[in-house]
Amino acid sequence: MSTVLATYNIKGGVGKTSAAVNLAYLASRAGAPTLLWDLDPQGASTYLFRVRPKVRGGGRNLVRLKSPVSALIKGTDDPGLDLLPADFSYRHMDLALDTFKRPTRRLARVLDPLRAEYEFIFLDCPPSISLVSESVFEAADALLVPVIPATLSSRTFEQLEELVAHGPQVLAFFSMVEVRKSLHREVMARLRASHPGAMLGAAIPACDEVERMGVDRTVVGELAPGSRGALAYQALWLDVSRRLRRR
Amino acid sequence: MSGSEFLPPDQISLDAAAELLCARLQVQPGEAHATDRTFYDTFDGLLRDGGRSVVHEGGRVSVIERATGLEEVGEAMAQPTRPLLVADLGPGRLREALAPVIKLRALLALVHVHSRVRALNVLDDERKTVVRMTIEEPAVIASSSRHIPLRPRLRLAAVRGYADELDRVARELTETLGFRPADQPLADEAVRAAGGVPGGISTKVELALAPTQRADAAAAAVLRALLEVIAANLEGTIAGIDSEFLHDFRVSVRRSRSVQREFKKVFPSAPLSYFRGEFKWLQQATGDARDLDVYVLEFDALAGLVPEATQADLAPLLRVLEDRRRDARRQMARDLRSDRASKLFQDWAAFLEELVELPLEDRETAGRPVAEVAGARIVKVYRRMVKMGSAITPSSPAEEFHALRKRGKELRYLLELFGAPLFSSDVVKPMIKSLKGLQDLLGRHQDREVQISLLRSLSDEVAARPEGPAALRATGVLIEHLGADEQQARAEFSERFEAFASGAQRKRVKAVFS
Repeated sequence: MSTVLATYNIKGGVGKTSAAVNLAYLASRAGAPTLLWDLDPQGASTYLFRVRPKVRGGGRNLVRLKSPVSALIKGTDDPGLDLLPADFSYRHMDLALDTFKRPTRRLARVLDPLRAEYEFIFLDCPPSISLVSESVFEAADALLVPVIPATLSSRTFEQLEELVAHGPQVLAFFSMVEVRKSLHREVMARLRASHPGAMLGAAIPACDEVERMGVDRTVVGELAPGSRGALAYQALWLDVSRRLRRR
Repeated sequence: MSGSEFLPPDQISLDAAAELLCARLQVQPGEAHATDRTFYDTFDGLLRDGGRSVVHEGGRVSVIERATGLEEVGEAMAQPTRPLLVADLGPGRLREALAPVIKLRALLALVHVHSRVRALNVLDDERKTVVRMTIEEPAVIASSSRHIPLRPRLRLAAVRGYADELDRVARELTETLGFRPADQPLADEAVRAAGGVPGGISTKVELALAPTQRADAAAAAVLRALLEVIAANLEGTIAGIDSEFLHDFRVSVRRSRSVQREFKKVFPSAPLSYFRGEFKWLQQATGDARDLDVYVLEFDALAGLVPEATQADLAPLLRVLEDRRRDARRQMARDLRSDRASKLFQDWAAFLEELVELPLEDRETAGRPVAEVAGARIVKVYRRMVKMGSAITPSSPAEEFHALRKRGKELRYLLELFGAPLFSSDVVKPMIKSLKGLQDLLGRHQDREVQISLLRSLSDEVAARPEGPAALRATGVLIEHLGADEQQARAEFSERFEAFASGAQRKRVKAVFS
């Protein structure tokens, strides 16, 4: 039975896709069969894995469970890591979900046939509060929430905690951290003290190698093994694995 | 995952093959590296029969598909230093994949292969890997100083979702570059090069016999094949590699004794009497060890008969059984290594070799057609069983059930060894099936009898152990349940027997074998 982890934040540009692809890569490298579903119509994860952002029949067909989801999966360059690609039609996913009686159960049902095959399923989610995100909350065992240590980001995180009070486990981590900024250090200290259960110790620095992923179209572990960014994702994956409580 | 293996055009080196491929396809070549692999299978080749191999490579044990060489499941594990049983594997997918295939059999190292390997990933226009390709130059490690080179081979592995690209590359290989599909898996080629036989040693004796063949020649051929199985399993039985060596050894001894008895008139009586005595000794010398194997292997199932709360109390009983098994195995090993045993095997082989040359007087049926002799025996034993079984009631003494079971074994061996190759399978198969149904039931009845009597005989020994009194109470409960199951088997007897002795079957036996 797989564990479903969703990288999620209401805000965009906070490091969700970077976290999803790098953590999925690390999970698969540790020997766990892993799938990443790129739910974001922009298809950044799909682009990083060099896969065509196209799903036969589009998002509507996928959530209608009309054809086997396993036929839509693409292998990545890493043998243990597969991708369910993004499709531009995902931008209408809310409308597609809304046609069902229990729309928020829908994504979980899409994943059901894959649970025996994969130990981890990562969902790379679009930034929004919508039916899609509610479906993600229902399908996921844990939300991995990147938080930029700035006042407004922390506010968004607190909103999210309220939103999923009875849903999946929330595991937040600081992203795009610049330790030389005193504001970053202050916000990190404050949030870690006020949310010891949800805030992880590991943090992802703002660094060149993470930014270069989009240029070289690969994960940090391949692009710059042993770099600060690569080590930070390893520490984060270790932290997530330890803190995960299975539902 | 799908894929396939290919052999490059003759006389081409690994590097030349790589160059050819790079010129035709968009390929990202990896560095060449060396790897050592050990292939495993059970003694009787169960994995191979199921289209699989087990391989240890790079600190990992994997189940691979024979046709493609691709991993189906695997996990990190140090190289096994002794035969590997399912019980030695931790819980996980590897164990789940192997347990239903190899069951009680141990995985034995078949052959060690050293290879120079190079990965060549085929890329698309986005420089994404769409097909994984490996080329390798393998060699059997015959000894530390001697490697036997094997043919280089190329393996294609599909990347999920890119089946069209796999087909395209396979076509390119065969149609343009002169590669051809591999005629055998690497494991088989390596085993052959090392002087072995792929598929291990089967314990099945399925000889093609001609109905008109002389009965003594046919019996000798069957007995020689059985002796081969006995000899093949001897070392594994003595070493206790897995419980099936002893089991197969004993089945072949029992089958040999059955042929000796049922075909007794094809042998000269004096030597036969010596061999029958010696084979009986062989059967007895291995009996305790086998019985105790079964008790220990089936202990959990036995313990499952008592209420859950009492099951843990049975632990001292298991320890007593294990101690006894160890002693019985030791004694058995001494007997099987003895001069008496080796003399028996040698004499028996020589006797079978010269049997057809011996004078025919004193051997009444030796020159008759085997179908006639075997058919007459099948009819005789079948009728005898029908008579014996018809007299059995639920209250008959246990000996009567046991005597019927022993006859049933005779009939089964006659049908399997002679009936199947000589008579119509339309008759033999259903007959074996109904006989098997009856034998299973009689076997269960007999097992319960023997188990009860063994458990009673162990009571002093169990009581003397720490926590003995609780174990003794639990053993009492177990005996009660075994007794109830024995009664249940008796109650089910008539139904199974009717299927075996039905009028239709009787008619068929008369029509076909008489």
